[in-house]
Amino acid sequence: MAAIAAERYTGASIKRSEDPRILTGAGRYVDDIKLPGMLHAAFVRSPMAHARVLSVDVSAARELPGVVAAFTGADMEAMTVPGPDALMALMGWAGPMPEFTLLATDKVRFVGDPVAIVVAESRYLAEDGCELVEVDYEDLPPVVDAAFALDPASPPLFANLGDNIARPHARSEFGDVSATFAGADLVTDFHIDVHRHQNVPMEGRGCVASFDAGQGVMTIYAATQSVHVTKIAVAMRLGMEQDKVRAVAGDIGGSFGLKIGASREELAAAAASRHVGRPVKWVEDRGENLSASGQAREESFDVRAAVSNDGDLLGLDVKMVIDTGSYPGMGAMVPGIVEAMFPGPYKLAALGFESTAVTTNKACYVAYRGPWASETFVRERVLDLIAKDLGLDPFEIRLRNAAPRTDPPASMITGRPLVGVTTLEALERVAQLVDFPAFRRRQAEARAEGRYLGIGVATFIEAAPGPRTPEAGSGPMGNEFMRLQLTEDGIVVLFTGQMPHGQSHQTTLAQIAADEFGVPFEQVRVVVGDTDVVPFGLTGGSRSATMTGGVALHGARQLKAKVLDFAAHLMEVSPQDLLITDGNVWVRGDPATAIAVSEVARRAASGPFDGDVDAKLEVEAAFDGGEGGWSGGTHCAIVDVDVETGIVTVERYVAAEDCGALINPAVVEGQIRGGVAQGIGAVLLERSAYAEDGSFQSATFMDYLMPTACDVPRIEIEHLETVPLDADVNFRGVGEGGMIVAPPTVVNAIEDALSPFGVRIYEQHLPPARILELIAAADLGG
Amino acid sequence: MDAITMRVNGATCTGSPEARKTLADFLRDDLNLTGTHIGCEHGVCGACTVIVDGRAVRSCLMLAVQAAGTEVTTVEGLAPDGGLGPLQQAMWDSHSFQCGFCTPGFVMQATAFLSDHPDADEQQIREALSGNICRCTGYQSIVDGVLLAAQRNRQAQP
Amino acid sequence: MKLPPVEYEAPTTVADAIDLLAEYQDEASVLAGGQSLIPLLALRLARPAVLIDINGIDELSGVSAADGWVGVGAMTREYVAEESQTVADAVPLLAAALPLIGHEAIRSRGTIGGSLAHADPAAELPAVARALDAEFVVRGPAGERVIPAAQWFEAYLTTSRQPDELLVEVRFPAAKQGTGTSFQEVARRHGDFAIVGLAASLVLSGGVISDARLAFAGVSDVPVRAAAAEDLLVGERPSAELFDEAARRATEDLDPPADLHGSSDYRKTVAAAVARRGLRAAADSANHGASERQ
Repeated sequence: MAAIAAERYTGASIKRSEDPRILTGAGRYVDDIKLPGMLHAAFVRSPMAHARVLSVDVSAARELPGVVAAFTGADMEAMTVPGPDALMALMGWAGPMPEFTLLATDKVRFVGDPVAIVVAESRYLAEDGCELVEVDYEDLPPVVDAAFALDPASPPLFANLGDNIARPHARSEFGDVSATFAGADLVTDFHIDVHRHQNVPMEGRGCVASFDAGQGVMTIYAATQSVHVTKIAVAMRLGMEQDKVRAVAGDIGGSFGLKIGASREELAAAAASRHVGRPVKWVEDRGENLSASGQAREESFDVRAAVSNDGDLLGLDVKMVIDTGSYPGMGAMVPGIVEAMFPGPYKLAALGFESTAVTTNKACYVAYRGPWASETFVRERVLDLIAKDLGLDPFEIRLRNAAPRTDPPASMITGRPLVGVTTLEALERVAQLVDFPAFRRRQAEARAEGRYLGIGVATFIEAAPGPRTPEAGSGPMGNEFMRLQLTEDGIVVLFTGQMPHGQSHQTTLAQIAADEFGVPFEQVRVVVGDTDVVPFGLTGGSRSATMTGGVALHGARQLKAKVLDFAAHLMEVSPQDLLITDGNVWVRGDPATAIAVSEVARRAASGPFDGDVDAKLEVEAAFDGGEGGWSGGTHCAIVDVDVETGIVTVERYVAAEDCGALINPAVVEGQIRGGVAQGIGAVLLERSAYAEDGSFQSATFMDYLMPTACDVPRIEIEHLETVPLDADVNFRGVGEGGMIVAPPTVVNAIEDALSPFGVRIYEQHLPPARILELIAAADLGG
Repeated sequence: MDAITMRVNGATCTGSPEARKTLADFLRDDLNLTGTHIGCEHGVCGACTVIVDGRAVRSCLMLAVQAAGTEVTTVEGLAPDGGLGPLQQAMWDSHSFQCGFCTPGFVMQATAFLSDHPDADEQQIREALSGNICRCTGYQSIVDGVLLAAQRNRQAQP
Repeated sequence: MKLPPVEYEAPTTVADAIDLLAEYQDEASVLAGGQSLIPLLALRLARPAVLIDINGIDELSGVSAADGWVGVGAMTREYVAEESQTVADAVPLLAAALPLIGHEAIRSRGTIGGSLAHADPAAELPAVARALDAEFVVRGPAGERVIPAAQWFEAYLTTSRQPDELLVEVRFPAAKQGTGTSFQEVARRHGDFAIVGLAASLVLSGGVISDARLAFAGVSDVPVRAAAAEDLLVGERPSAELFDEAARRATEDLDPPADLHGSSDYRKTVAAAVARRGLRAAADSANHGASERQ
């Protein structure tokens, strides 16, 4: 690859170093891994939503030629150490912890619940073996909606919890809620539902577990957002010391929050591999991914809004119910974040918030790109609904209520300061890009012809990582670590706990380090995905731009200082006289003195040196997030709704975004577009559908519909000039924003298109049939 | 099963797959060509797309035995010695992909489409690629890569 | 999602295929393009004892025209039919429907006969065949017989092909002069099965509708001819009011299935919209054809 001649890589759309292997099929995903003697696992899964398991007989499966082993839930318990869900334990969950087994023993709790594992010479044979396993179930009444889960008469999913309430009812108040409501001109109530949908990465979950009996070491090749969290989860469940477990990951085909820790199936595969003494691969198929990997977003909100006649949103009182499915995932932790983020970038004076999490006989609630996104959906819907009630323009009501940037910054009523937030700038930029008056004229003309166009706007902020607070500077999930090293080949190696699965870290972190250290982009290598080699880390929460970008910047600076100190010793000058540019160390003003960094490293490796000379050209860096900051933006969609068929086309989509300083604009834009596509998918196409008896209805791509190239328009992106908060690190996260704000943007546009019919929308999923139902109901005055 | 022979990426390959084994699994498991990915196994996502006798097909919907005697091209066979062909280069230049799992399917589908429709416009390209699912990109960057490849191809014509 | 164990036969002649079908009867599934059958096998919803792969029977492919009919061999790939000038000229309704079938990669392997033998009521080709009164040529141990479309589609995914018979050819009547056609469908996404689709063919003579053929996809367990609407249309001049009334008649007695993608009422409403649009497009196509010929 030709050397990229760029003074500065940061801020440029440098081509990705990941792509040559990606484009030629040379990536290494977990299903590409083949080990000698490797076996394949498949799971027997419950066809019942809620049932007692009376017996499990794997003997016929064991007899099938090619099947090496088959284990029941009871067998699996004997091979593993019981314990809480590793992820919940790691995140410090202090609430009630459900008791359950890796594979179902006494009961099954959702359609797809794994009951037995069959290990065979091929996945084909493993599935054949699964068909021979006999399970005797005794039906139990299924709990398929929150209403029944809240009813004390509903059979508890987990005996030790006693009921189906995963998190007790908890109310908080911020500001003077009762006074705010008492003094409002208008108080209105809304009930808003967000439907169940899910991550659906193109690569499902999977692992290859390989136990070396001689060394007593378990190696787990994983698809994960953190090799360290996977390692800890495996060690805990297998009762192994952590240093005896190594987790390794190569390329990962997307995750969006799904692949964190280790799922029950991965842990069962690891235990089976240890027991059988051969490597075991388990890679889920699409049916498993859709029905059993986990789902998200099924939340409902009763919202009371206190409003002035002029359109000031004074206060909100929110009751949230979240359907967390069966086994523990992230669900019970979401309401806390929703509460904290509910005010958004607005001048809300009072917030009352209470939430209830319930368990139901559905797949578990997992983190899905912006797990708290419902706060933006509900708030941005409420603003439009209030605007309609008051006869105000939805754009104007946002301008009126957005918190201006003040010094010192205003704070959200829930605590966090809105430092550096550019919401007003984002709204104004969108207004420039989208000529609203011209659109309203076009809309009127279209209506006269029986065509229904609509425009919607929504705005959001995201704590990516969020502002520095007096209590703690650290970003979400703690400090970020990195080890940096200069090799004798002159390569600056970054060892990071980040686990890219589409984020392009191997490119973006190299851009930052190359700039800071002074080597060409090609002379930086980013190492990920091996717990023996990289520090603790996790990719998620839109943290990496700030946290990892920051530790790369500061770490490269520290490494450079060390290298200059050593080079100064070599060259017998003062370090202040030295520069590193283009991979060479040289004395300022005298290019003839240049020596390659590789030469410096070689000399450093050929000691010994006097005691006061530090020849170890390596640093371990940590970064607490610096001044941090918010990301945010305003999106706008124009839609065309065919009122005869309910088909919605997104005609135009515009995003004005602020994610701080850009490391790589093409990467940023890719993240935004991908998130917006998921938001369009959620509104128009995607639903994880359960029937009343708990059977799962969207287990193939013919029923769970994914957005395609004909469903997602060109997305116009404007990068706003950001407010720098930190002397060095002003990159902020962008991974989740698109998915957070796109659903309300599109729904607002649809409601605007249908306003001649008097349609009001209190939900997020609007397939064609629903559009026609809404029109018909509004016509009837419903 | 009797042994079957096919040409894959220009090389003669033989194997004795079970009749029920899909071409996708045969390529990945028996021939170690893991570039072709499996995304759904029911013919909707397109990740498994390869070219058989000049036509893009979903290799999860063909039995390996049905490919006997055919010419198969997978993503590994598009450019010599791990280099990049013009479409791959254009996609690299356009930042077409993120996680890369859907990539081989898109590359093969676009290769087949462009060879039959070298002057396709954006809408035609989107329709042609609407049978391939990507979860990461929102498709714009992929479409841009294909448009760039087509444009460069036209410019290269004398 | 791996296929279950299954025996496999790959006959190279029709006679051999029929022998196998006679032996295995309904324990056999015929493997043509595989675009419908292989997913069913992967989901383990279909469990035949043997697959009879007819891809090696060369005599089953090909498009030919004779005596006012176009014969399409059962193994003719959908993309071949799509590229066929004979089909474009003589069976424009088929030509209109073919590009809507799935995606290019599906049409690389999918076959005309396979789609029609699978008989998914939401698919495009069954509606086309029903609209045009296509003829299905099957061959069995007792010889060959010809089944008209009205008798071919019996129930959901069920045709009147006997277990020991092989569909060898589908014949479509060549379009008369003055024909206009359209295939309209409402689908969730480009390339999806129709929620509701309509195959429409009108013949205009001197501005008057002399023949009308309408068949719906997706409104029942088989494609449905809208006979009452057809009766209304024949002898009339195209107009918006006429088409509105025809759409009403075409759909008033429908009782479509409900599923994740739409309720019965929704499908009925959409069927009416599709009928209006389809009739308008078919009439425009007939006029366009007429002006082209002038």
